[in-house]
Formats: sequence, structure tokens, C-alpha cells
Amino acid sequence: MPVTHPALRIAALTWLVPACLSAAPVDFVRDVRPILQKHCYECHGEKKQKSGLRLDIKSEALKGGDNHSPDIIPGKAKDSPLIHFIITDDEDELMPPKGKLSAPEIETLTTWIQEGAAWPEGVDLTQLEDRRNHWSFKPLQATAPKPKGEEIDTFIDAKLNEKGLHRSPPADRITWLRRVTFDLTGLPPTPDEVTAFESGIRNRDSGIYAAVVDRLLQSPRYGERWAQHWLDVVRYADTHGFEVNTERPNAWPYRDYVIRAFNDDTPYDRFIKEQIVGDLTQQDAATGFLVTASVLLPGQIGKDEPSKRLARQDSIDEIVVNIGQTFLGLSIGCARCHDHKFDPITAKDYYSMQAFVAGVQYGDRNLQTPEAIAAREEMKQVKFQIAELDKQLARFVPMAKSGVKRIMVSARENRDRFMPVKAKRVRFTIRDTNSLEPCIDELEVFTTAGDNIAHDAAVTASGEKVTTDRHELRFVNDGNYGNSRSWMSSEKGKGWVMLEFKEEHDIERVVWGRDRQGKYTDRLATSYVIETADISGTWQVVADSDDRQRFDTRDRTQPAFSTQGLHKNEVAEAKRLMAQKAPLDDKLQKIGAGQIVFAGTFRTPDDIHLLNRGDPEQPKEPVVPAVLSALGDLKLPKEAAEQDRRKALAEWIASPQNPLTTRVMVNRIWQGHFGTGLVETPSDFGRMGVKPTHPELLDWLATEFIRSGWSVKHMHRLIVLSDTYRRTSFLARSNELENSFDIDSESRFLWRFPTRRLEAETIRDSMLAVSGQLNVKMYGRGYNLFDKRGGLSGFEPVESFTGDGLRRMIYAHKVRREPEAIFGAFDCPDAGQSTAIRRASTTPIQALNLFNSRFTLDASEAFAARVKKEAGNDFTAQVTRAYQIALSRSPTTDELQDTVPTIRDHGLATLCRALFNSNEFLFIP
Amino acid sequence: MWRLMHDALMIPHPEHLSTAGRQLLDRRGFLTQSATALGSIALTRLLAADGMLGSKGPVIDPARPYAPRQPHFPAKAKNVVVIFCAGAVSQLETWDYKPELIKWDNKPLPGGPAVTFQGPSGNLARPQYPFRPRGQTGKWVSDMIPHLAELTDDFAFVHSLTSKSNTHGPAENFLSTGFVLDGFPSLGAWTTYALGSENQDLPSYVSIPDPRGVPQNGANNWGPGFLPAAFQGTTMSSKNPVRHLAAPGVSAQTDQAARSLLQRMNARHLEANPGDGKLAARIASYELAARMQLSVPEINDLSTEPAHILKLYGADDTQNKDKAAFAKNCILARRLIERGVRFVQLFNGAYASGGKLNWDGHSDLKEQYDVHASILDQPAAALIRDLKQRGLLQDTLVVWCTEFGRMPFFQKGAKGRDHNPDGFTCWMTGAGVKSGVSCGETDELGQKAVKDIHPLYDFNATILHLLGLDHERLTFEHNGVQRRLTNVEGHVIREMLA
Repeated sequence: MPVTHPALRIAALTWLVPACLSAAPVDFVRDVRPILQKHCYECHGEKKQKSGLRLDIKSEALKGGDNHSPDIIPGKAKDSPLIHFIITDDEDELMPPKGKLSAPEIETLTTWIQEGAAWPEGVDLTQLEDRRNHWSFKPLQATAPKPKGEEIDTFIDAKLNEKGLHRSPPADRITWLRRVTFDLTGLPPTPDEVTAFESGIRNRDSGIYAAVVDRLLQSPRYGERWAQHWLDVVRYADTHGFEVNTERPNAWPYRDYVIRAFNDDTPYDRFIKEQIVGDLTQQDAATGFLVTASVLLPGQIGKDEPSKRLARQDSIDEIVVNIGQTFLGLSIGCARCHDHKFDPITAKDYYSMQAFVAGVQYGDRNLQTPEAIAAREEMKQVKFQIAELDKQLARFVPMAKSGVKRIMVSARENRDRFMPVKAKRVRFTIRDTNSLEPCIDELEVFTTAGDNIAHDAAVTASGEKVTTDRHELRFVNDGNYGNSRSWMSSEKGKGWVMLEFKEEHDIERVVWGRDRQGKYTDRLATSYVIETADISGTWQVVADSDDRQRFDTRDRTQPAFSTQGLHKNEVAEAKRLMAQKAPLDDKLQKIGAGQIVFAGTFRTPDDIHLLNRGDPEQPKEPVVPAVLSALGDLKLPKEAAEQDRRKALAEWIASPQNPLTTRVMVNRIWQGHFGTGLVETPSDFGRMGVKPTHPELLDWLATEFIRSGWSVKHMHRLIVLSDTYRRTSFLARSNELENSFDIDSESRFLWRFPTRRLEAETIRDSMLAVSGQLNVKMYGRGYNLFDKRGGLSGFEPVESFTGDGLRRMIYAHKVRREPEAIFGAFDCPDAGQSTAIRRASTTPIQALNLFNSRFTLDASEAFAARVKKEAGNDFTAQVTRAYQIALSRSPTTDELQDTVPTIRDHGLATLCRALFNSNEFLFIP
Repeated sequence: MWRLMHDALMIPHPEHLSTAGRQLLDRRGFLTQSATALGSIALTRLLAADGMLGSKGPVIDPARPYAPRQPHFPAKAKNVVVIFCAGAVSQLETWDYKPELIKWDNKPLPGGPAVTFQGPSGNLARPQYPFRPRGQTGKWVSDMIPHLAELTDDFAFVHSLTSKSNTHGPAENFLSTGFVLDGFPSLGAWTTYALGSENQDLPSYVSIPDPRGVPQNGANNWGPGFLPAAFQGTTMSSKNPVRHLAAPGVSAQTDQAARSLLQRMNARHLEANPGDGKLAARIASYELAARMQLSVPEINDLSTEPAHILKLYGADDTQNKDKAAFAKNCILARRLIERGVRFVQLFNGAYASGGKLNWDGHSDLKEQYDVHASILDQPAAALIRDLKQRGLLQDTLVVWCTEFGRMPFFQKGAKGRDHNPDGFTCWMTGAGVKSGVSCGETDELGQKAVKDIHPLYDFNATILHLLGLDHERLTFEHNGVQRRLTNVEGHVIREMLA
């Protein structure tokens, strides 16, 4: 509970002070410390520091806790929060919570503070431990040379011996092949790959294992698999998150960048630099990394200044948090409100890190590759050509009041065309709406020459319902479309707007809409009349809604363009123009794709201040860009340019001297193969993180990583070709292995291979691959998992997929926080927060989804069709083939006998459905 | 803390498996013994000795993630129904009576903010509904919600809540997850993670969206965040049952054949791969799913509800379809609680719609609230009455909440109120709650909490407390932080406890 005015609450205490002044001075060691020891150290001592307060060390005690620092104000007992808390009547606040101190104890503490809180140096019974003294902050340790090619196994075996664990025998070869194929590509091996491998083994081809690994690492499927691990950590999504969860339509070039980077084996140090400052090296898509988080769009942020400041702080915070946990494995974000509880990261460190990225804003940026620049130039021209054609086409709507039935009104845009008429004024009168007060985003009036003259007109209206900066009368002819720049009438179901021009014009068309951005369909004028007055002031009706089709909300088919009701000559002309336009539209879409990326925009950095308790309304001293003080002394002047800041930060992180960067990455790679890292907490290498099981191995891998030129693929090779990786997961019955199981059932020390369930994406991708449906088209805009790509209300899942919907799941349009209807239940991250470890929970909902969904049934049918094509009509051949495709092995005789009757009676798809749900299919063996 | 990397040591308990599964487990004799007892102890000791063990939380059997688990201390409430009114209900039109506002009606607020969330402020505005004293306590409550108002004596109000955001999205996150950012576990996820559920044939945590649509921050209100997906809310309503309950277009015989074939495949595989608890857990999950396929349609079938119950809730209202649909959701909530489902979240109010579909009364508050109140009031009151008359309220906590409140003045040029995170009201009733109390106060115009200010953390801490959970001890390690529902804050609001 916050204490607003501690001073006021303890006014009653003042009597104590004079009473004590007459006594001998209070001695800290003799009088004060015993009280603290007895009542306070349990929660505010060496073991615990509740609310960040520690009272057993002078420097810490005088600094104070998180909430009320300083808690001890020498000479001012009644102002000191410490005193407040020991005398308050509020049960929730009273310290110690177990019961009030005795009156003499309270008196002693009060007097001590009032007399100046004298705390002699060197009397403390304990010392502040050096938080920098932590294994992961120290330089990589060199290890004694190990036999070449067997380094990993040597380290692992040494630990097994030390722990009294026995290594399991090697797995059978096909198990290894299945394991490594899932691991590196996220798909099962094909029957042909199994056959080729078996024949290599038969021919005693000693290089066959390495050849398989090379093939897998060269497969484009590899980058798709490993990019997913990275996107999990950086919480990538294709929507902005929060309430509106709008589509982020240009996020995917960053996703493609990551896939390419893994496939190209981009050196990891370069990969880091590109993601932080790729704009320096024409890798603009890479900086999508900076802005992967949820963000509030301007319209969702309050108009009041504190709301704006908080939103900005939140958005910078997300960048710092992302950098900290992704590259450094540190929870820097904890220091936003107070010094880190466990790691040597101060609040000042945190805000100094903010200063590196204080010029980054969430937004789209043009790619700066030569291709992109040329494409944009071309787009400009194409757009101009299209605009010209549109202008001409705009004339081809049926005349109002010509006897032809016109299409019903649309919330987006409506054109009312009439015989040319001289007009000084135009009045648009609304007689009814589909709901509430009518709203018009823009009213345009076109002359016979095709010019919109509404801009310069004076505008009046029946009334207006103002929402500042959103609904104002002046927006009705300001040239800006959309709800947030519109006029709203003050009356329900009616109202009028009038435009008066400086002079009389020959006009022939009025164009108007409710929301031309297409988000709103309410408040639409469903009945209206348009009148004009010439210079003499005589009014006449030029168009109204009476000859339009009745408004019907259920009718969603709004033709983009219709020649209905046009004169024959006009139809021919309109068609000619349409034919010219169609290829231009296609062209625009093609060259437009991927030229823009949601990768942040850069501006002069904000001034960053240390904020008291993280509150933007309580700024303290300004800070300059500086790296974490426990790890380095790099500091930039406050004048440092925006890009230079990011560059300096990137170089510091991607330096071989940084003790965290390489350790964190090789651990992530290790985790990708064994399910658990050598450090079990992959994004926490701080003091609360779990210590490595094999510290020497971790350092050796990190050193080797640097030596190899930061090659991720090199690390894969070392790991998957080791004996350790080849061990069986099977638990053979032997006393030694039973004993190993007793000691280390999870195989954290890798005496056997730890199996794990496939991740959500791998299950879906593998079902598609096995059923022969997988579309391996790479890159580009994501396909839909829902009926829409972002937005406010519920998301209806797509149930049946074809074409692009059969691509790998990494190419799905990722709606933040919206779990995919089937695979979301398989612990698929929702991109709200970073996911460094995939959980693998087991729930009945998973079983329902995987057993009953349309997706599974479709895939089962497709799989059955494939098997029939490859195996013919013989049941035994069918079962055999299905097993080979799905499980990389042939069925046993028992299995054949068990299965054939089922497919005879219930069809082959029944077997396929069971295979997709089987444990053997769903686990990395 | 439950780490799935550890789940090999959590062999499913044999009694929760089929006969076949049990036999298989028995055949692995040495494994069941060593894995459940010796194995875990030895592992723990080994890792702890090396400082390689994370901290501990509830131990979850992967074969029975919803198995009931012990709270930290004896619980007052076993189950919870949260009635979540999306869009921010005005405290001034409902529970927080401010007669001063009548005096100040249509006058500017001296020193008030010139600009609030949506734009410039207008003049102060009186409560838009008459208030009158209710029941024994004589507490003044608005005529907007006449049915709920009759229950005033049973409620424990807190009038001095504050939120960390004045934007719906982050504020609904804050109410539901304790954090304004996306991606943190929801209250229901924390609860079922800690306590499991009394009924194994139904999801442990059910979210029932408003018949008009999902609330403003959508699935994040019932998301698992970084907790295992097993603890996310399952959405269903009287209109839309759980997805994938049955395979479309597959005959019962074929369905059974597939199920039985799968069972045999998995049994053979388990026999060949002993010592892996994950495999047995998955087998068990299919058996649970089969039971759920039967129990979910049953729970959704309201045809067994007698006419007087439909009438009590207003589910028979032919004039107001939204009300009738919400009433059915309320009946569904009762049925779920009756069957021991741990956590039910009942939404009233849908997505952002200028206040048309939820409580976001910016433009014409009275007109909009007339609509929403008529949907909320009778069904919600009936739910409480019905739980009470069946004796369920003794074990069930009912929470009414909204993400923030509204300003005492209208917006300029409008007849509605803007967002106000600095002082608003929520209440609880039922198990463990002290009836007829009002905690905290806002200032005389109802703009800011001034007495016993309670950030929403306190409200959530109190809910957990009633469930027998210490909000400081219910933690989960995520990326280096022991995360809690209440971050590093929160005090139980003792005055609300019976």
C-alpha cells in the first residue's frame, strides 16, 4: 500500500523525541543493531531483501528500499519511512508484520535516527557480495585440448563418470536419421531418404552420417525450422497486439530475413549487428527485430500527455527487454522500476541502455536495396497511370434519376452522377441512416473537367457532434479519408452539409463515403438527397437515394465496378479502360510486395532520464547511452547520433570479448537439439538462472563458435555427429542403466537421448509432408489461419486449407495472442512475451483437436490417396507403405495383422488418422 | 515450478489409466517405483547439490493436468465465477453514489484536466440514473441495475481501485493478468495451474464470451501466457460449444475403429519404450478427451432447465435477444460450477464499438447503458440467486469487475464520460466474502480514489487469497524472473473477507 505522506501520519510521535534527547547518545552496535537483528533481518537481511530493503549493511540500509528510499533520514526521525512503518496503526503496513516493537525499542530507533543515525564504518557483520562475481560474466575459460572430433563426447563422458552414470548404447540408425531430420528441418525423412541412408550403411560408407547432415543443412527446410526457434524468442507476429490487434502487413520481410540468415549461415556476429543496425549495411529488413513487440497505435493512446509518455516508455522498454534477453540472456527489464534484485544491473544501467535505442519508433520503413529503390520509382509511375485511369473511369456510373436502378449505398464510397449543372452551392441532406447519427468522411464535388472543387468551398452543416481530432465538420472536405477524419451529425438519422464555392462551377458528380478505409459500416446515410443552387439561389434536386437498390446489410457483394445501366458507348469505353487498368493493378501488387518492412523508423533520440520507480511523470537525472556497468565501460556522449548509438551497442554485443553473447547462443543451439540447454534457463544467464550442467563444455562450444567464424551450421555438425547425440532413448533393462535412471531420470547429463514431443508447427508441417500436400513455396506474405488478418473482434479459424494454406506454418500470418485453432493447444507461443523454451504440456483439448479436426481428416484422406497411388490396392502393401512414410519403418507382422481388418472395414484414412495421432509419430525419438 | 523438461519423473498415477495402460505400467515394475519415488528424490538431490534446480511450484501430473491440487492454506472458496464487464463501466452510474455531482451538474470542474483520454473535457455531469438506499445496509445504488441492486447487502464493494492504464487493451490485460503488456498468464490460468479442477471431464477453466462478441483484449483475457497451454481458458458459450468435439462426417463405428486402432498402436509403442511418462500421459489425454466429448454437449444442453429457471434468468425474454443469450450464458456458468469446474469467466460486453456493444459510454452514456444494463442486470442477479438457493455460493466466489471507471464530467460536445483509471468500483460476493461492506472511497465527485487506495493488484491478491493461495508464493519462472499475478505488488484487502 503506498504511503502518501508519511510525515503527516507520524505527527503523533513527536513527543518521543524530546523525551529521549536527554539520555546518553544511542550506540548503533550496542543499542540499534540488536533490534534490527531480532526483528528485521529475517526479511531485510542477507537472505531476503523484501521491497529491496536490506538493513544489515550500512551502504544498503542508508540507500533504502524500492518504495520509500531513503528509509532512514538522519536527523529526521519523523520523516523517515522506517519509523512510520514501525508505529503505524495500519495493520497491513505495520513492521514487523508479526507484531509491533516494544515502546523502548521504538524509542531507541527513533532517537538513533533523530541523533543522526550514526553507523560506524567497519562494524557490519557481513559484506555486500560482489554481484559481478558470477560465472557467466567472466571471460570464456580455456580448457585442456581434447581429442579432435570427440570433444563433446569427452566432456559429456567425464561428467557421466563423475556422477556414476552409464551411457546408453547407440540408437538404431533409422532412429538417428529420424531424430536428426526432425531436429534440423522440422520434417520426417522421406522413404527415399531412409532407403538411401540404409544403402549407404550397407555399403559401409563411412561418410554417410556426415553426408546426411550436409544434405539437411543445405536444405531450405533447415532455415524454416531454425528461424522458428529465433522468432519464438523475439516474439514475432504479424499483428500489432493489444486491443485493436491490427494487421502489421509488412512484418514478414523480417521473418524472411531470419530464414535466409539461417540458410545462408550468416555469421552470428553479423546476424546480431544486422538486427540492431542493419540500416547501415542495406539489411533493412533485419531491424524488424527492434520492433517485434506489441505496440499501441496512435489512436489507442490517450490524448493526455502522461498517456503519451507512458506509451513511449513502454515501447522503448520492449526493445531493451528484447535485446537483453535475446542476445545477452539477461532480464534487464527488471531494472526499469528499481535496481535488479539479483543481478548487477542498476536502474541507471537500464535507462542508459534505453538511450541506445531512444530514436527508434515503431513503423514501416522503405527497404534501401537498389532493387527496392528502383521498384518504388516504378510504383510511383504505375500509381500515376492507375490514378489517371481511375479518374476517367469514375465518370462511368449510371446517371442518377435516369430510370436505371443504381447499386445500393456503400459505407466505403458512393458516386452520384448527373447531367452537368451550374452550381454555386451543393447541399447533401441525410434523411435516414442504418444506425445512429450519420457520419461522412469526405464529400467531393467534381466539375465537368474532372476536378474536385470541394476543398476550397466554405462548409456549413445542420450541426455536429465533435470528437476532437476525429469528428469535426472541417474534416468533411479536407481531402483525408477515414473515420478519424470525418463529420458526424448532431442528430440521429439526419443532418445536412452544405458546400459553398467562391464562384459558380459546372459540376456533374458528387462522391461521398462513410469510411473509405473500410473499417466502419455504421452511421451510413441510407436515404439522402443532393441539391444544387446556382448563383441566383434556385435549388434543384440532382440526385437522391430513391433510385438506388434498397439498403440491405446482409448483402456484402459490392462490385468494384459495374457497367450496369451505362449507355452502350460508355460500356465500350469503360471496358477499354478497365482492360488497361487490370495489368497495372497486378503489376503494382507485384512490385509493391516486400519493398516496405515493419522495421522501425529512426529519428533524433529522445532525452532519456532515470525514472523514479519507472514512472515517466517522475524523471530524475538524464542519462547517456552506456552499456551495463558490470560488463563494460562503453559510454557515448549525449550528442551521439541515432545510428551511431545502435552501431556501438551492436558492436559491443557482437564482440568475442562479450562473455554472454556466444555462451547464450551456443546454449540455444544445444537446446534445439537436446530439448534442454546446458543452461536450463536459456534467456537467463544471471544469478537467478540455473547454472550450466557442463560449464567447461559450454565454454568450449562458445570458443569453437568464435573460432569457426560464428558459424551456426558448424555447431550443428559438431553436435549431431557426436556419439552423445546418437545414443538411444530406449531404456534397456540392465542394472547399470536402472541405476542411471534412478540418479538422472530426465537425462540432464545425457546418458541417454531425451525424447520430446514435436512442436505445434512441426506436427502440422509433418502431417502435410506425409500426406503429400506440403507446399514448399518459400517467403512472402503469410497465408490466413483465420477469417481475417487482424482486428477487434473474434477470429474465426479457417478449417480447410488449399494452395498457400498448405505451406509450412512459419509462413502463416501470425495473429498475436490468437491461438491457432488446432495447434495452438500444443503450446504454440502467442507472441505476447518471449518464448525461450517451448513447453510440452499434454491436454485433452490437444487430443480433441488432433483427432477430430477437419484439418486432420483432410490430411488423412490425402495421405490415404497418396498411399493408394504408391502401393496399389493390396491392404498389406498399403499398411506397409503408410508406416514407411509416416514412421520411417515397415510394420511388424503383428502390426500388419492388427491393422488390415481395420482398413478393410473402415478405409485406409482411418489408419492415417490414427498414425497422425500416434505417439510414435508425435515424438522425436 | 513445473518444468516440462522434468516431466519424465512425473509418471502418471496408474489409477487414471485404462486397464491396458495400467498393465503396461505394471510390467515396467522397476520403473514406476523408481521414477515416482526414488528417481525424483535422487534427481532433486543431485541437481540441488549443484545449484541447478529451479524453484518449486505445484507438481503437475502430465497425465492429469487438471487433477485437484492443494492450496497454500485452507481455502474459503473452491470455485470462481468472474463477471467481466468489458469497456469500463461507470462507477458513477452504478455503485459509487456521488450526490455532490447533482449539485455540480453542468458546471466546469475547477482545476480539472483539460484533456483526458479521448480529448477535451466538458462540464461535470450528474449521475444519469436515480439512486436509492437498499436493504439493511441502506447503501445507495443506482436504478440502472434494479435486480443486482436488490442484492446490495450481499456484496463487498471496493470503491478505490486504480489501474495502470487508461487504454482498454492494456487495462483489460492489467485486470486479467496483472500486467499491461500482452502475453502474461491470466487469473484463471494461474488459478487452475495452482489448483487444477474438481471435474476431470470438463475443461478446468471456461471462458464464456458475450453473445455480441469477444471482449476488447480478446484471448489475452483467458490466455495461458507462458504457463503450459493446459491452463488456458477454453471458450464456449450457450451458442458455440467447444471446437472439435466430434469428427465431422465420420460414422460412429469408424470413429471408434480409429480410436481403438490408435489405442493399440500407442500401447505397443509404450511397451517398446518404457520409462517415458510423456507417452503414458498422452494416452491418458485421449481417454480424457473421449469423456469430454460426452460431458460437454450435456452441459450445453439447457433443455433440462425448468421454465421457472429460464424465467428467473430472463432466458425466455423474446423481446431482448441479447439479454436472453446472456442469460443462457449465465445458466451455463451455473451448470459448470455445479459440476466442479474451477474457474468460469463470464463476459458482458464485446469489442470496441463506440460503446454500442460494450460499456464504453463516450458519446451518449445513458442511452448506451440503458441497452447494456438491460442485458446484464437480471441474468447476473439470477445467477447469484440461483447459486445461493442451491447452496453453491458457500463454495463459490462471484466477482464482478471492469477494467477502469469513468470521469465525473462529460466529454466536450458529448453526453458520455471518458476513461478514468484513478478510482473505480468492483465487488465480490459469495464464499469467504464479508457481506455489506464498502472499502475505500473516491473523492466527493468520484474522480480519484482518496481513501484506502487499492491498485487492481490488491483485488487480484484478494481473489487468490479466498482460493487459499498466497499471491506471493504462486510463481512461475519465465526468462529469469519468478513471475506472479501481482508482479511485485499486492496486498489482500482484509476488509472484504468474512
